[in-house]
Amino acid sequence: MSVLRADRLEYDDPLELIEDYHRRGWTDGLPVVPPTPEAVERFLDAAGLEPDTVLGAVPTREVVVTAEHAAINAVMAGCLPEYMPVVAAAVRAHLHEKANCHSTTGTLSGASQLVIINGPVRNDLGVACTAGCFGPGFRPNATIGRALRLVIRNVCRSVPGFLDRATFSTPARYSFCFGEDEEGSDWVPLHVERGFPAGSSAVTVHSVMYMVSSPDYTSRTPEGVLDSLARTLRRQGTAGDRWLGDGTNVVVVMGPEHRRYLVDAGWSKADARAYLWPKLMEPQQPGEGRVKLGHPEGLLLVGAGGPGMAETWVMFPHLAWAITEPVR
Amino acid sequence: MAGRLIGLDPTSGPLPEPSGRVAPRPASLDGAVVGLVANGLGEAEAFLDALYEELSSTHGIKAAIPVLKSSVSVPPEADDWQRLTEGATVAITGFGG
Repeated sequence: MSVLRADRLEYDDPLELIEDYHRRGWTDGLPVVPPTPEAVERFLDAAGLEPDTVLGAVPTREVVVTAEHAAINAVMAGCLPEYMPVVAAAVRAHLHEKANCHSTTGTLSGASQLVIINGPVRNDLGVACTAGCFGPGFRPNATIGRALRLVIRNVCRSVPGFLDRATFSTPARYSFCFGEDEEGSDWVPLHVERGFPAGSSAVTVHSVMYMVSSPDYTSRTPEGVLDSLARTLRRQGTAGDRWLGDGTNVVVVMGPEHRRYLVDAGWSKADARAYLWPKLMEPQQPGEGRVKLGHPEGLLLVGAGGPGMAETWVMFPHLAWAITEPVR
Repeated sequence: MAGRLIGLDPTSGPLPEPSGRVAPRPASLDGAVVGLVANGLGEAEAFLDALYEELSSTHGIKAAIPVLKSSVSVPPEADDWQRLTEGATVAITGFGG
């Protein structure tokens, strides 16, 4: 194990540390768990990472993010050591060039970073995938998403008023993480659709400009549910960008009340995309935006959520690709 | 100091203090070559073109170097930087939608 490089500060007790970290601007406004050297080393060991392993960089900010940085912030976020491989994968994904950290975390629009977890690691860690999965009450969801955001703040320097220039920002910037409900249907999981082996675990990070519910309480067919979804997508439209080209994504999170009409009729995710695509590419009508996706696979369909409300959530992108990284 | 709690610094270094400085201003725009760096949002190009027309009518501006970034979210390309740094006396840009 290499030596930890971070500066060390001494305190009489945890409360003194917590208050000092607040004073120094090292938190998101909530208390943190003290990142002691022993705790950070446990996190690195759990992920098999050396402290100086580089997870990524933000060249425009002259910032290099190491495993030590990520582990310190994961401890602070309240993670358990076994979450660390997922945190490291999320940091790697967010620091992919086309995930565009500089823009998506500095933007006036206050985009959030959504973390979607796939594979066996969800069940190993107890990641919430069904009822209430976007919200509070689940330690892995709350702390893995928070760890990424603390890395963005403390290491990547997206501090409000400095390199975070959000006009309003969003509560989703405290934490936004959930798992795909892979057990809820026979749909191919997101990470497998994106080229990772079945049975493996992976993390997808998507920068969300805003999220919109697409409710439909009356449709009872795949076509009806998807027609409603197409109307939601066309009403909002998505931003295009020459630098990002055809690689942009929209994440569509379909709850079980909608999903079952597709699943029961034998529709796969690919079938849903094939039905939606020509509807999304039709010429714009007055009051509609343009859905600027390069190809049907740009629509990332994810099953999650609980029963009751017949709704699907659409996560419209900021200026980035959704990037999937394996959990190592 | 045995028994004291050690906390690790979670940052990549201290944030720089705002300098409070602005780029040097030329005394006059007579003979100036003006870089116009559009970020691609909204009507940025049209706005900068109109601004250039206004400046041209009131100052002795020699020429413009228009730059349209390849994305709103990335810096100008290397050759655009070269055109600006080698050819422009002043440059105008903006941000926001």
